[in-house]
Amino acid sequence: MDSDRFFTKLVEETDVIESESQEAPARLKSRIYSALVTHLAEAGPLLSLTATKKAGRSLCVFEAALTHAPVGERARVMNACSVCHARVLAEHLESAPIFWPHCPYAQFHRGKSV
Amino acid sequence: MALGGRESLETEVVATRDPPRVRRDQDRELVDAILRKDRKAAAEFVQVHSDSLYAYVRSRLAPRSDLVDDIVQDVFVAGLGGLSRFEGQSSLRTWLLGIARHKVEDYYRARLRRLDSLSEAGNDLETVSFANLELDASLDRAKLKERTHRILTELPEQYSVVLLWRYWERRSAKEMAKQTGKTEKAIERLLARARTRFKQLWEAS
Repeated sequence: MDSDRFFTKLVEETDVIESESQEAPARLKSRIYSALVTHLAEAGPLLSLTATKKAGRSLCVFEAALTHAPVGERARVMNACSVCHARVLAEHLESAPIFWPHCPYAQFHRGKSV
Repeated sequence: MALGGRESLETEVVATRDPPRVRRDQDRELVDAILRKDRKAAAEFVQVHSDSLYAYVRSRLAPRSDLVDDIVQDVFVAGLGGLSRFEGQSSLRTWLLGIARHKVEDYYRARLRRLDSLSEAGNDLETVSFANLELDASLDRAKLKERTHRILTELPEQYSVVLLWRYWERRSAKEMAKQTGKTEKAIERLLARARTRFKQLWEAS
């Protein structure tokens, strides 16, 4: 067997990536989500929480409170996660003790769909 | 779902060029929601695609696991930046894996460009024979994979990079030379040294 054939066969045999067995760390998912929402917010206001809810998305308890509180639309288009303790915990701990329903960070740590 | 290197990615691209309508609609819906700046859609984007991207990048950066997180994050940020150009001709997953592949190659290119040791001198082109080397059919795939990964980890970084790029990403020495600004001969020489060292470690393991 020449070297090229050896390596080609080796790659055929070993280059099988099972995403299920290589789950991305929850901390990484959390950091990526934070980075994406920061990028979205830098380019202009986010979709308001009211509109997000109308689109059929579930809100966490803090986001839901913002939709009811007399805070004006400006607060509802801001990135509320940027000031939330759940974000800090989720970005730094692999099994962060956050359990708020519909919080993206909590769901990354539980591996559930958002 | 399994995915491999360049060929496998391309196979997947072909296979998903006309993705089933349901998935195509789901991808389109998710992309449109992110472009409307729906933060929950961004979370879904991460949740759905991070595991496969992480697995791919991790396999291609062995042994540099310390860089995997940064590259995966770069893939998502680049993907977000290019979402308005996503046309749905392949699945969103395949499209993101294409970006990941470019990021991985950026890393390979940077590592090999930085090396001063890719000399033209010497006469060490393929001095070792692989004739007596066979893949042990009795080893199961997981063990073979673990053994391969361990050897790649033990190799000097330029050796693992050049082998991963050549064989796992299926790039020719000519393409690698063009991308790194080195000569083809220098790349061939590095490949020969990498294969020799790989073989020594393979036989010793």
